[in-house]
Amino acid sequence: MEITLTHYLVLSTVLFAIGLVGVMRRKNLLMLFFATEILLNSVNIALVAISHYHGDFTGQLFAFFIIAIAASEVAVGLGLLVLWFKRENKIDLDIMTSMKG
Amino acid sequence: MIDHILSILIFFPLVAGVLGFMVNKDSFRAYGIAVAGIEFLLSLWLWYAFDNSNGGFQFVEMAALVPAFGISYQLGIDGISLFIIIMSTLVTFIGIASLTETRNVKNMIITLLVLEMTMVGVFAAMDAILFYVFWELSLVPMLYLIGAWGGPKRVYASIKFFLYTFTGSLVMLVGMIFMAYLYQQATGQWSFSFTEWYRVVLPMNYQLWLFAAFFLGFAIKVPMFPFHTWLPYAHGQAPTIGSVILAAVLLKMGTYGFVRLSLPLFPDASVFFIPLVVVLALIMIVYTAMVAYAQEDIKQVVAYSSVSHMGVIILGTFALNIEGVSGSVFLMIGHGIVSGALFLLVGVIYDRRHTKMMNEFGGLASVMPRYATIFGIMMMASVGLPLTINFVGEFLSLLGIYKVSMMYALVGGLAIIVGAIYMLAAYKKVFFGNVTKRENENLPDVNRTELYALIPLTIIAIWLGVYPKPVLDPIDRSVRENVLNIMYQKVNTEMGTPEARALISDPYAIKETITAAAPEAKKHAAVAHHTPEAR
Amino acid sequence: MEMYLYIALFAPLVGSLTAALFGASKKTMFTGLFASGMLFASFVSSLLLLIGVLEGNTYHVEMMTWIATGDLYVPFGFVVNEVTVTMMMVVTTVSTVVHVYSIGYMDHDKSFNRFFSYLSAFVFSMMVLVMSDNLLGLFIGWEGVGVCSWLLIGFWYHKESATWAANEAFIMNRIADLAMLIGIFIIYWNLGTLQYEGIFAGVNELNHGVLTAAGIFLFVGAMGKSAQFPLHTWLADAMEGPTPVSALIHAATMVTAGVYLVVRMNPLYDLIPDVGLFIASLGAFVAMFAATMALVNRDMKRIIAYSTLSQLGYMFVAAGLGAYWVALFHLMAHAFFKALLFLGAGNVMHAMDNELDPFKMGGLRKAMKGTFIMMTLASVALAGIFPFAGFFSKDLILEVAFVEHHYILYTVLLLTAGLTAFYSFRLVSLIFHGEERYKLFGFHPHEAYKYMLVAMSPLLILAIIAGFLFKGTYYEMVIAMLPAGEYHVHNQVVYWVMTIGTQLFVIAAILFAYRKYENAKIDLKVESGFFYQLLFNQYYIPKLYDELFSKPYVELSKMMWKIDNAVVDASVDGIANVFYGTGNKTHTMQNGNLSSMLRWMVLGLVALLVSAAVFIGIVTNADAIMKLLGA
Repeated sequence: MEITLTHYLVLSTVLFAIGLVGVMRRKNLLMLFFATEILLNSVNIALVAISHYHGDFTGQLFAFFIIAIAASEVAVGLGLLVLWFKRENKIDLDIMTSMKG
Repeated sequence: MIDHILSILIFFPLVAGVLGFMVNKDSFRAYGIAVAGIEFLLSLWLWYAFDNSNGGFQFVEMAALVPAFGISYQLGIDGISLFIIIMSTLVTFIGIASLTETRNVKNMIITLLVLEMTMVGVFAAMDAILFYVFWELSLVPMLYLIGAWGGPKRVYASIKFFLYTFTGSLVMLVGMIFMAYLYQQATGQWSFSFTEWYRVVLPMNYQLWLFAAFFLGFAIKVPMFPFHTWLPYAHGQAPTIGSVILAAVLLKMGTYGFVRLSLPLFPDASVFFIPLVVVLALIMIVYTAMVAYAQEDIKQVVAYSSVSHMGVIILGTFALNIEGVSGSVFLMIGHGIVSGALFLLVGVIYDRRHTKMMNEFGGLASVMPRYATIFGIMMMASVGLPLTINFVGEFLSLLGIYKVSMMYALVGGLAIIVGAIYMLAAYKKVFFGNVTKRENENLPDVNRTELYALIPLTIIAIWLGVYPKPVLDPIDRSVRENVLNIMYQKVNTEMGTPEARALISDPYAIKETITAAAPEAKKHAAVAHHTPEAR
Repeated sequence: MEMYLYIALFAPLVGSLTAALFGASKKTMFTGLFASGMLFASFVSSLLLLIGVLEGNTYHVEMMTWIATGDLYVPFGFVVNEVTVTMMMVVTTVSTVVHVYSIGYMDHDKSFNRFFSYLSAFVFSMMVLVMSDNLLGLFIGWEGVGVCSWLLIGFWYHKESATWAANEAFIMNRIADLAMLIGIFIIYWNLGTLQYEGIFAGVNELNHGVLTAAGIFLFVGAMGKSAQFPLHTWLADAMEGPTPVSALIHAATMVTAGVYLVVRMNPLYDLIPDVGLFIASLGAFVAMFAATMALVNRDMKRIIAYSTLSQLGYMFVAAGLGAYWVALFHLMAHAFFKALLFLGAGNVMHAMDNELDPFKMGGLRKAMKGTFIMMTLASVALAGIFPFAGFFSKDLILEVAFVEHHYILYTVLLLTAGLTAFYSFRLVSLIFHGEERYKLFGFHPHEAYKYMLVAMSPLLILAIIAGFLFKGTYYEMVIAMLPAGEYHVHNQVVYWVMTIGTQLFVIAAILFAYRKYENAKIDLKVESGFFYQLLFNQYYIPKLYDELFSKPYVELSKMMWKIDNAVVDASVDGIANVFYGTGNKTHTMQNGNLSSMLRWMVLGLVALLVSAAVFIGIVTNADAIMKLLGA
């Protein structure tokens, strides 16, 4: 069986769905980060796959961007997370409501 | 320097205002007066350098800002904008000179200087985006003036003012962008320049939509009935200086917009909308005058009266003949001087008694005779007494609208009756009768600072009423060239509607009987005619 | 001669401005003398101009451009011709007298200087009104006299009634002024000019409808200023002003401006005799209507005011019937004797501490001999007894009506002549004859200053001689401009019967008034009668206006204000409140909990995806859907 674009896209969608559920269900901030990483990477898979089948490198370029940005985002995010944990001893989402409108 | 006089006029107050942050607080009043004074002198110089025989745009400056979309920094003035600019700088100067505010004077003066920049900018801009930028920028200092120095309900009033006018101008912005798009469709390139836009003849259906979009922006600013309710609140809460500038200059932006943009760009739509606009203006004249009569607060009387008089300006504008449009532009100047002065006058008693309710006063004529005299003169100017500035404008506006329909003139003419009713009633309540309140028995008459502010306005109100020629002539020329001639040319293309063709006549066609009595030839000629026909 | 023209016009302005400089300071005799002097200079200049005009000249100057835009060209142009010079003489004569008189009358008033400033300003406005060579110039004066009248009626501004009357006068005049403006508009848009010269040159070519409209609107303007029905109520109330003001403005000059306008526009009114007939009919009606109100009034000044109104009616009859020169002639004669009458009334008021009710006077002839003689002679002139001025002017109007075959008008005017004689001598009798009732009220009357009486004497002389001495010369002069017409009853017998009959009728009315009111008996039965009450309450018209216009206007204004707040503003606020409300309801979404917010985000994403899918589905299957809908 040859692996076609569809397979990649299905994989991407499944990963995206997993990430989405994770984003919605997780209460732990760290887990939330994992879920977002899954979301981003599912998009990366789609981008690289489409780029490959189209013979256009822009998509792969974008994937690199996303990886770079995701890395920096995680770096900053984890830093904040550590800070928060030091202050509150907890990284439960439900207690972070200072943005209440 | 004369080539960039307009840029200097616009940015000098801004630069001076920013530099002003370094000036000592105690000497700031002097600094503000000096800056506003120089600005006023500069605008007078502009008048001096202005070529009266040229009806077109002068002192044009041009620099591309966003060439890809045809947005440019384009300035220029003609007879229509010249005098509104001079009036703006004069009113600002007088306003700053007579400032009685004690809280945060420095911030207030800087705000006023920034406001002055935006005002001059609006009237000098010849590019729609530039026009729009200054138009919106003017909201910010005014918002700050009302919000920071206003009365108890200042936050509500200032937010209402801001959001209301902002909503209108956003619709106008959409119209501007669409207009530029249409220009691009017609010519293949983008432009926001007024003079470029003037050359486009639009089909009727586009004209209608665009007219409506621009109308909303201008009508809220004027403010036309039923969009006027922000104004009484703004006036009611604004400090004296805020009201003065709001009434004298900011409202003129709306009427100026009609003359500068709506009429020449959409001549057929203007004719099409005459019934609607004129009826709104008529309602505005009579209705707000009646509301003014019901007020108990003297400042609200002046505020509603200023709305009522703006209605006459609209009438003149939509007369679409030289008499009417020139008259309405002249009335813009007159209204600026007179309502500005009236708000200053209200400020005088407010400073003394900290109340504006008319039943708190009474019999002031015997306590403050000089004040009563100046107020009386300005009141008479406001009700349009001949030989005062407003008569010229009101007469010409009504004369113009008569050409469109006699009923319009008749109902619009009610302005002179209802105007007299509320003004005389208010004057009677405040100045006549016996002094009933003990607090009023020893009120000091107008002091020297107040006189310095009021006397020039009084002199102008009478001077331009007796001899309007120096102002009316350039206005007349520019109205012919930049408004009516463009309209006339456009409606006589194949896209023009027959109604418009019937109404708008060639502004350069002068009847022979009139040229026979040309003014120049007979000037100062005190010749005795011994003809029996000289009745 | 142009210099005299400028002096005649601007001397009062100089006087006014000079007096205004001292306006706020204490009484200085200088202002009174200076203003009077300026007026005298104006009078002398007018006299010199009159001599020039009598020699057959007219003078026309254009000082400068006033308003010029589009096709409109209005200069400050002034013209002295046969008609204007007549008015100028009337105005300057009466105002000079009134100025000098006022020095005495306002002697104790603390606003002496202010008074002269206003009074001279009035004369200036009146001169502008008269001398302008165009309709808009006339309108300057027209409004100017209106403002001065407002200032002078409300001169004692601490009195509620005075300021009320001032505002009433101004607003009522404004109503008429609007009509006048419309008249001016009609003329401008049809003839392209507002210069009299141009109007008269072009007026023949206009169609009848336009002319009628212009004539009616201009006349409505005239009705306001000349206080014709239904805009008459302000004149009686205007008596709140100082008496010299009543003499000058509300008897001799300003109120006659309406007549002057009709006379000045005679080429226009000549072409529309039907409007003329309307003017004449209204005039006759007002003559009678006002005279009846004067019969029963108990306020000395109001009686004279109603008499003025009645006489204005006479003038309009003449003007309406095309006898412009007769109207102008009666205007002149009336100015002299009516001003005299008012000034006499002023003396009486001074003597009686501003008491106005003639029933509280009586027998004053002993204390005030000079005033008594003057007022009696003025009343005789007003009644139209030979050889006083009124005979020549008023009886002429009767003849005009007769000769023009308007017998109804004639009858009305004849009856009114009787009424005029009656109420005039009712007043004289009540004030000067009979018992000295004033003693009961504790008054100590005294004669006015000598120089006040001296100042009044020119008017007395004019009231006596103006008729027989000037009529011929005046006629010769004025027919250069106005349509000539001798208006003589050709049948000698009819003429003599009419003249003598009228005289006898008038004299009978005088005697009746004397007998009836010598003892100032009040007939209670008559007084409680319907007619008496009707007349005494001025036909209930002021009350009617109050109920019909003033009160509803106030109510309507208040209602409008409520509407402004409750409807117009509320709908704007309503729109804003919709946004606020939605925000209020939905801000719970923003609970700050990241995971619930993320859920909202996902929901939004899903909604977007679904709508995109639906949209794409619709677009790609548009044909099928259309078919489905069609089927």
